[in-house]
Amino acid sequence: MKSVVIGAHLRREDVEPIAETLPVGELFLSAVSIANDRPLGDRDLLIEVAGIRGQLLDRATFIAIRYGLAVRDEHEAAIKCIGFVPQWRKLLDAHREEVEMTLKAAASAPPARPDRHDFASGGQYLRALHEASRAVDVDPQFKTGIERTLVPLATEHRWLHRDTTSIELAMLVRRRDLETVRTAGEKLRRDFPKIPFLLSGPWPLEVFANDHQQ
Amino acid sequence: MPDETQEITLLETLDHLLDRGVVIAGEATISIGDVDLLYLGLNVVLANVDAMRRTGQK
Amino acid sequence: MIISNDEDRLRESITFAEPVIPQRISADPEVVENGLAKLVLSIIELIRRLLEKQALRRMDAGNLTDEEVERLGAALMKLEEKMEELKRVFGLTDDDLNLKLGPVRTLE
Repeated sequence: MKSVVIGAHLRREDVEPIAETLPVGELFLSAVSIANDRPLGDRDLLIEVAGIRGQLLDRATFIAIRYGLAVRDEHEAAIKCIGFVPQWRKLLDAHREEVEMTLKAAASAPPARPDRHDFASGGQYLRALHEASRAVDVDPQFKTGIERTLVPLATEHRWLHRDTTSIELAMLVRRRDLETVRTAGEKLRRDFPKIPFLLSGPWPLEVFANDHQQ
Repeated sequence: MPDETQEITLLETLDHLLDRGVVIAGEATISIGDVDLLYLGLNVVLANVDAMRRTGQK
Repeated sequence: MIISNDEDRLRESITFAEPVIPQRISADPEVVENGLAKLVLSIIELIRRLLEKQALRRMDAGNLTDEEVERLGAALMKLEEKMEELKRVFGLTDDDLNLKLGPVRTLE
């Protein structure tokens, strides 16, 4: 048997009995046991784990660990994760009552990709690519709409440029504000019927579980 | 829920599972010069891709 | 909670984490060589794109020296060049490599 690790939690009761616990330092990892030869890329397993994540989130906010970590036992889990524990502890304490919400929106005009033949040096090319990637943005009116209705509901937010055809807003929102977020989302939908966007959540700490700028 | 919304819900849920969160599983590192750029954890990407492509079945 | 708009066009512009590797490799010996080339090139292209995205992330973070920017940029140019060469050699297009599926997401 191997254990597919799901997240890092403050208390054992945040995990049990929904999933198994693997103690690491003062924290607890949630995990689900599977047969050793079961592939991690199995669709049914992915859906099962996604469902468990949702149940765990209903219980308490936790640090999301990217899918793909499978360990033999508590010992291996500890070796791989112990370095993260102090940072995770701080984040879990700070954001106990918050969850993440995500807004993805189509970029209004994806920029043309620079042609490497136009550049004399690698550095110039990389800088041009960087410029082009940062030029991605949504319709300004939509952005204003988001900044007026959604952003004020977030305790923290971050705009992310994950690719060249869309832009993403990650928000930390208090659980008690979720219905207000839903209302704001529905309003955005009515006000901007032609702009493809997706507001989803709640999610555990994902974007805000990482220190560095994403 | 209409089929299209169901599919998007599933895609979004899997996206959050697969593409975010703290990366722990890194079996190899790809670097250019001294700059570490990528951690490789190939087990999800290479396994059972075909099964992942099935949509609208749940 | 999922609130979405204009769902028909959502998939065109918003990427979800999806494998970008062709899923069917024929066992027919006549097509095996071509199939393997597609698989290998698709993986290389995936890695090339991820490297590029990650280099851009590091640019965002602003923690690269001028020399590192130069070295990364030159390596990325070279990788792009090599991919084009390999595609020519095997007579494969971006379509063949299933690359039209959309922008690649970085591993953070």
